[in-house]
Amino acid sequence: MTQGRAVTDSEIVITGMGVVTPIGDSVAKFWAANLAGTSGLVREYRMDLSQLPCGWVAGIIQENLKVQVAARSGRPGRSWGDTLMHDALAQALDDADLGRPLDVQAALVWARVWPGPSGSFPQDYPPHLEEAALRYEAAGADQAASVEYLRGKELPGELTDSSGFQAEVAEKLGTPLQATRLEATCSGGLRAIAEAARQIRLGEAEVAIVTASVSRSTPYVLSQYGQLMALSRWKGEAAQASMPFDARRSGMVINESSGAVILETAGHARRRAAPHAYAAVGGWGLAVGTGHVTAPDVGEVERVIRAAIADSGLTPEDIDTVNAHGTSTRLNDATEAAALRRVFGERLAEIDVCAVKSLTGHGSAASGVIETVAAALTLTHDVVPPVVTCTEPDPQCGVKTSLTPVARPVRTVLKCSFGFGGQYAAMVFRKPERVPAA
Amino acid sequence: MPEILLTSAGLITAAGRGAAPVLAAMDAGKPLFGDGPGGRGLPWPTAPMDPADIRWPEGGRWANMQKYANLSAHAAVAAALLAMDGAEPAAGADALRSGVVMAVGCSGSDELGEVFGKLAVRARTDERPLPKLLYDEFPDYSYIRGIPSQIGQFVAIATGFRGSNVAVYGEGGAGGLGALALARRLLRSGELDRVIIVGVAPPLAAGILTAYDREDPLGTEASPGRGPFDAERSGAFVGQSAVAVVLENADAAGLFGIADTPVEVVSCQTLCAPERFNALVQATRGAVHEAAAGPDLWWSHASGSVAQDAEAVAAVAPQVCAPVTSSKGTIGASFECGALVDLVLAAESMRRACVPPVGLLERPDPAFAGAGADIVTHAPRSLPRAASALLTALSHSARAATAGAAVLSWGGGR
Repeated sequence: MTQGRAVTDSEIVITGMGVVTPIGDSVAKFWAANLAGTSGLVREYRMDLSQLPCGWVAGIIQENLKVQVAARSGRPGRSWGDTLMHDALAQALDDADLGRPLDVQAALVWARVWPGPSGSFPQDYPPHLEEAALRYEAAGADQAASVEYLRGKELPGELTDSSGFQAEVAEKLGTPLQATRLEATCSGGLRAIAEAARQIRLGEAEVAIVTASVSRSTPYVLSQYGQLMALSRWKGEAAQASMPFDARRSGMVINESSGAVILETAGHARRRAAPHAYAAVGGWGLAVGTGHVTAPDVGEVERVIRAAIADSGLTPEDIDTVNAHGTSTRLNDATEAAALRRVFGERLAEIDVCAVKSLTGHGSAASGVIETVAAALTLTHDVVPPVVTCTEPDPQCGVKTSLTPVARPVRTVLKCSFGFGGQYAAMVFRKPERVPAA
Repeated sequence: MPEILLTSAGLITAAGRGAAPVLAAMDAGKPLFGDGPGGRGLPWPTAPMDPADIRWPEGGRWANMQKYANLSAHAAVAAALLAMDGAEPAAGADALRSGVVMAVGCSGSDELGEVFGKLAVRARTDERPLPKLLYDEFPDYSYIRGIPSQIGQFVAIATGFRGSNVAVYGEGGAGGLGALALARRLLRSGELDRVIIVGVAPPLAAGILTAYDREDPLGTEASPGRGPFDAERSGAFVGQSAVAVVLENADAAGLFGIADTPVEVVSCQTLCAPERFNALVQATRGAVHEAAAGPDLWWSHASGSVAQDAEAVAAVAPQVCAPVTSSKGTIGASFECGALVDLVLAAESMRRACVPPVGLLERPDPAFAGAGADIVTHAPRSLPRAASALLTALSHSARAATAGAAVLSWGGGR
């Protein structure tokens, strides 16, 4: 590396990770599926989408795994979004082997994607809609009559988009936590990691916990993204529906998922003899574009990538591999590829690019955390996962993907996340140069 | 670390535009609760914004973007433009060193609820599968219209602040202090020079107010003797507002022209804990400790809630020796951004060296005097030395258990 940041006790390392995804409810299963190219995408079987112009495939957590996750992490009154975060977080905390109570300043940053007013599952809709219909018949648009109608009735947990999640985590860890629930559309997970890392950089925390979840494959949300024509129109095998950087890509596939990572200073990790240091946070770049509400901008993507590399004290030549946002929409992948070309030039043809959404689908804010787990494991194992659905690479994109895992030394990973509302984020992760003693 | 200055603000409340009308109403003991535009007839009096105060910019681009903008977006842009105070949108390198932080909820408006009810009735007999029915009949963009950072993009367009855009809200928001804390970090780290924090408390749907009422009862009588800290208080009052504050690094301050008498945001913490009371104790302790001096004024979250007001006094009063006031008996609680509203009001109170009394407060709860709370009642009180102010905020829901505290200092950086 040309001018890497000096390794000190204040370096920020990832010491624990957890995921619940359509391709596995543990980090080990998730990574194995990534390397094997095992898809979690299925034809949506819980509702009739046949008359929608797109979006017939979803990344769904297998029903038997849902039962297990609910048994492990569900509680009466706890939403599915919170249950997913609790499960990923429990994995990450166990993985990091953090002692409890925590005896240092700690932060919690979380991003739970709101699924809309009627819950996270298609099967929630019939009872909620019937209740909404009864209420409308009784009260119409009369707010006072609505209040009277609701008296004594159960309210959907998602109505206020609020919960006691953070208090439960504080109780679990036995300490107050600096609390930040954030939202930055589909870049929210990566942004959450940046916000957590910033708290550590500023000395406000020695340990920072990040988690995010999404579960919104529902009639309402699909109808909305369908209106935007953002969803895949692939009519063939479901596993092929998300094909980042492939010439035939036609849209994203939304999923249900969660992820969690534990960040801490290398010094804290070493003092407590943390069992792992998967990756070090190099730096990040963040931006808001003001050009368009939904369409990405190549200049903004380039800006955050360059900022992340510079913040890491590196140059583009130091980046070994890219963990792309790669949504499989026509515009996103072309824009991301164009920005990568601007940053890396002709060298882009030699840089291995992976796109986890090819197997999992798109988990909105959760995707940034989940894909950071993949980036960290890429550094740990010196293997770049394949993009098995990119069988006809789009020459317009011109990025280098592989149908099989690529074993190679990996010192740095560039991770990108973007979103509606002009959201752009990029981070660089590096191989930790000082592994805490076990 | 650079000093972080509050250099401009925009505020829209039931009192109109700006902080001065709110303080005048508080001074005069004139609460601003009513039935709200449209006569909604809810059991909870609300202090509503006047829609005439919420102005959307003119021009073809803004007209086209309205399809993506809900009421909260309109209010956010209006408040942001007030804070810009006529300044042109930032440009060039300045724009990239300026960012947006939002404090607004996802699900706050009536728009979704009404449409859902109508379509739910229709779904009973419509032959189309539900996803197709919603695809055909739901207004375009209704889902993304409610996304907090989507609203933030409008603020970025209006201000030219392109550094970054993020929302902090919900159970971690602490009335906007979560957003304030994150904005301070963006500035202290040197990542940005300037951040506009924009909060909106829009008219809330009946279902959401019902949920809030179950979490902690809302006030049903906006009458004397029911206000914050009163012995007969019986519930938190509801307000509507839009607020924007511009924070700048001291070195970059002055772009908007009112930095001649700036307020420094000395500290800000938001904490969650198993119990809300402990979160407030520790957030206050941390904010006061970082400020390194006891405040001369405590601007409290006290809302008229039996539980919240008692927790506020028990947690904070033992730590500070200063007169305390609250805006909630005059303009109600702006759930996602109430502390940002209070920040603007506290700064203006420090400027005029006078603290307004608590609205609708007749007889302070005797228990509070015993705890050492010096509550400002009935008339404004001069503060010859109002050098610093403590703000506190709580989540409305006790189970959410998040609290925040911040300290402001008058004349910081100059």
